Amino acid sequence: MSSPALPRAPRQWTRRGTIAAAVVICVVLHVIAFESTEFKPALLVDGAQGMGRFLAEAFPPDLNWEKVLKPSLEATLVTLWIGLLGTTLSIPTALLLAALASETTSPHPVVYQAARAVLSFFRAVPDVVFALIFVTAVGLGPFAGVLALICHNTGVMGKLWAEAMEESDQGPVQALASAGASKLQQTFHASIPLVVPQFVGLLLYRFDVNVRSSLVLGLVGAGGVGLLINQAIKSFQFDQMLTHIIVVLVLIVVVDQASALIRRRLA
Amino acid sequence: MTAVEVVGLTKAYAGTTVLDGVDFTVRAGELLAFLGANGSGKSTTLKCVIGLARPDAGTIRIQGKDLGALQGRALIHARSQAAMVFQKIHLVPRRTALDNVCSGGILRVHGLASVSPAFFAKELKQEAMACLDRVGLAHVALERTGRLSGGQQQRVAIARALCQRAPVVLADEPVSALDPHAAEQVMALLAELAHTENLAVAAVLHQPDLAIRHADRAIGLLKGQIAFDGGMAALTDDVLDTLYAPDRVAA
Repeated sequence: MSSPALPRAPRQWTRRGTIAAAVVICVVLHVIAFESTEFKPALLVDGAQGMGRFLAEAFPPDLNWEKVLKPSLEATLVTLWIGLLGTTLSIPTALLLAALASETTSPHPVVYQAARAVLSFFRAVPDVVFALIFVTAVGLGPFAGVLALICHNTGVMGKLWAEAMEESDQGPVQALASAGASKLQQTFHASIPLVVPQFVGLLLYRFDVNVRSSLVLGLVGAGGVGLLINQAIKSFQFDQMLTHIIVVLVLIVVVDQASALIRRRLA
Repeated sequence: MTAVEVVGLTKAYAGTTVLDGVDFTVRAGELLAFLGANGSGKSTTLKCVIGLARPDAGTIRIQGKDLGALQGRALIHARSQAAMVFQKIHLVPRRTALDNVCSGGILRVHGLASVSPAFFAKELKQEAMACLDRVGLAHVALERTGRLSGGQQQRVAIARALCQRAPVVLADEPVSALDPHAAEQVMALLAELAHTENLAVAAVLHQPDLAIRHADRAIGLLKGQIAFDGGMAALTDDVLDTLYAPDRVAA
C-alpha cells in the first residue's frame, strides 16, 4: 500500500526569531531580578552554622502542657475560627459583586465595569495590609483578622465566582430569558444553580487558603497562633516555636483533607 | 387560526444570503415540520422568529403582534407567546423536574419568589404538576433533571413550554440528540399537543421520515427559499430528492 508523501511544513524564520527574542528577554529579566534581590547563595553557606544553632535550640519541641501546648492548641483554634468567619462572612458580599461583575448576569455595562473595579481593589490590597489597618481601628486581636480576611476574600472569591458563571453553559439562561424572565430571575433560577458545585468547591478552597492566611495575620497582631509564634521567636524560645508550628501543621493537614473529601463528594 | 405569520423574511451573514424572502404561516392545531438540507436556512428561520437572530428584512407576527414594532416589556410579552424547545434541552440539571417546569411560568412570578423555587406559589406548582402529568412524567416530579434520560428531559422541557401557557411552541431540532425510540415518543407528544390543546407547533427536523409520520404539514427550504409548502401527502420522494439534492450530489 502506498501512502502520499509526508507534507513538509515550510520553515518559519519569523517564528524562530520570536522564540529567540523571548529567550533573550527572559534571561535579561532574570539577571536584573538576581541583582535587585541581592541573590547570593554563598551567604547561605556562610550562615549555615547560625541556622544549625537555631535548629539545635528548637529540638526537642517544648511539649509542656500548661505553658506551651495548651495555649498553642487554643490559639490554633482561634486561627481556625478567624479563617472560618473570614470565609463565610464574605459570602454575601462576594455573591453580590460576582453577580454584578459577571457578563451573563450584570444588569448594565457600567455596573459591570464598576463591580470589576471594586473586586480588583479588594484583591489587590493584601490581607496583611487590611489587618494592619483594622488593628489600628479595632485594636489588636482576632476581630481585626476576621475583618481583614472578609475584605480580601470578597475580592478573590467574587472574581472566581464571576468567572465560574461566565464559563457555564448559557443554554438554560437563554431558555429562561425566552420565557420572559428578568435578569434577576435568570440569575437566581439559572446562572447560580448551574454553578453551585463550582461555587462550593471554590468556597472550600478559599477556606483552606484563609486558614493559612490567618496565621500570617497573627504575626501583625491580629490574633491566633501567629501571635504566639511571633512571641516565641522574639524571646528566643525556639523549642516553643517548633511546638506551635507542629500544631499548625496538623491543623492545616486536617483542613486540607476535609475540604478535599467534601470536594470529591460534590464532583 | 394563524398563530405565526412571517412575510418576506431575509437574512444574510457576512454578505452570504441565508434567507431570501421567506413567507409562511403556522396555524393553531397543527404540527408543522421544517425540512431541508444543512445550510438551507431552516434553523435561521426559527432563530429569527424566537429573537436569537435579527432579520435584515421582513415582518414576523406572533398572535397578530408585529415583533418589529414592539420594544422592551411589550416585546418580551409578545415573544413569550411562543415557547421554545431546544435541541440541547437546556434544563437546569441540579433542579427538580417540577422546579424546571415552574420556571416556564416565570412571567407570572413576582417579588420574593424570583429568588428561589421555595417561594413559588402553590398554584404555579399545581399547574406545573398538571403539565408534567400531561407529558406522562408526574412520577419524576421531584427527581433532579440531570438524572433523567434524554427523552424524559426533553419531555420535561415540553412540560416547561406548556407551563408558559404559550399558544405557539417552536422546537429547534427537538429530537436530534435522542435515540430513535425517544424521538418517536417526543414527536408523537408534540403532534398530540398540537391537536388536543390547539397549539401551533413548528419543529425543525433533520429526518424527513419523522415528519412524514407525525407532522400535518411541511415546509421545505432550499438555499434560503421555500421550495415546498404543503400536506404530507404531497411530500413525495421527488420533492425530497429536490430538497436534499445538494447533499446527495456532494456524496
